[in-house]
Amino acid sequence: MAVNHSMPVLIVDDYKTMIRIIRNLLKQLGFANVDEAGDGTAALNMMREKDYGLVISDWNMEPMTGYELLREVRADDRLSRTPFIMVTAESKTENVIAAKKAGVNNYIVKPFNAATLKSKIDAIFGE
Amino acid sequence: MPERGKLSARRGLKGRAGVKHRASSRSVSEEITVLVNTLRELAAIRSTAEDAAARILDSAEGLLAFADKEEAKKAEDAILAIMTACGFHDLVGQRVTKITKSLDQVIARHLSAAGKSGKRGERPADAAKLRLDGPGLPGKSQDQAHIDALFREN
Repeated sequence: MAVNHSMPVLIVDDYKTMIRIIRNLLKQLGFANVDEAGDGTAALNMMREKDYGLVISDWNMEPMTGYELLREVRADDRLSRTPFIMVTAESKTENVIAAKKAGVNNYIVKPFNAATLKSKIDAIFGE
Repeated sequence: MPERGKLSARRGLKGRAGVKHRASSRSVSEEITVLVNTLRELAAIRSTAEDAAARILDSAEGLLAFADKEEAKKAEDAILAIMTACGFHDLVGQRVTKITKSLDQVIARHLSAAGKSGKRGERPADAAKLRLDGPGLPGKSQDQAHIDALFREN
């Protein structure tokens, strides 16, 4: 699928600093239509109200983690095809494999740089 | 370096013995007070880190707006590097959370031993089966290249 830079992107993270960082990186990559959510529950509610072209989510959040959000998204017929990138400090093999099996499109481990985010987004949209 | 380590170990043993002696003379409530104060210090660390990261981001975002057109790409790359470095706040926060949870458990055990309720915000029994450790220790967590390889193989 081709990337549409005007598509809405949803950043999900409980740290406002990280949201600001990712928002700025996305802006430099040409994505200006960006929303944010502080946890999985808020994100899921937003996704049920608006069609997002990409979700970039942290894992460690409460009350709903990014992994739980991913599973909810993939279980919802309307949302299941939404591209989903996990951006997290969780780097254990079992977590990466679990996320892959749950249908995550790509997995970025923190700390990360702008080039990594770009390459993972490009990989999803075939750029 | 090994010699320095050995020296530190000897000092550490002495130090630990000294601390143990001092700790045993403290009452349970004094120990709980020390732990609670430690939690306050950790909260202050998190708050300071958040403030610092916010100030850095404010400056970096301001710089982006003023990046000279001729050197724009170089300036942009440098500014983005500053911004992504601000991710330290997230990782500091996650480590502080881990420590806070451990201290909460220690406090709960002390309270329980003192005959008070030991339950302090325990995670529900049906919490995700996957263990979440947050950021790993330097040299002990997998980097992006390893993650990418895992992703390709599975």
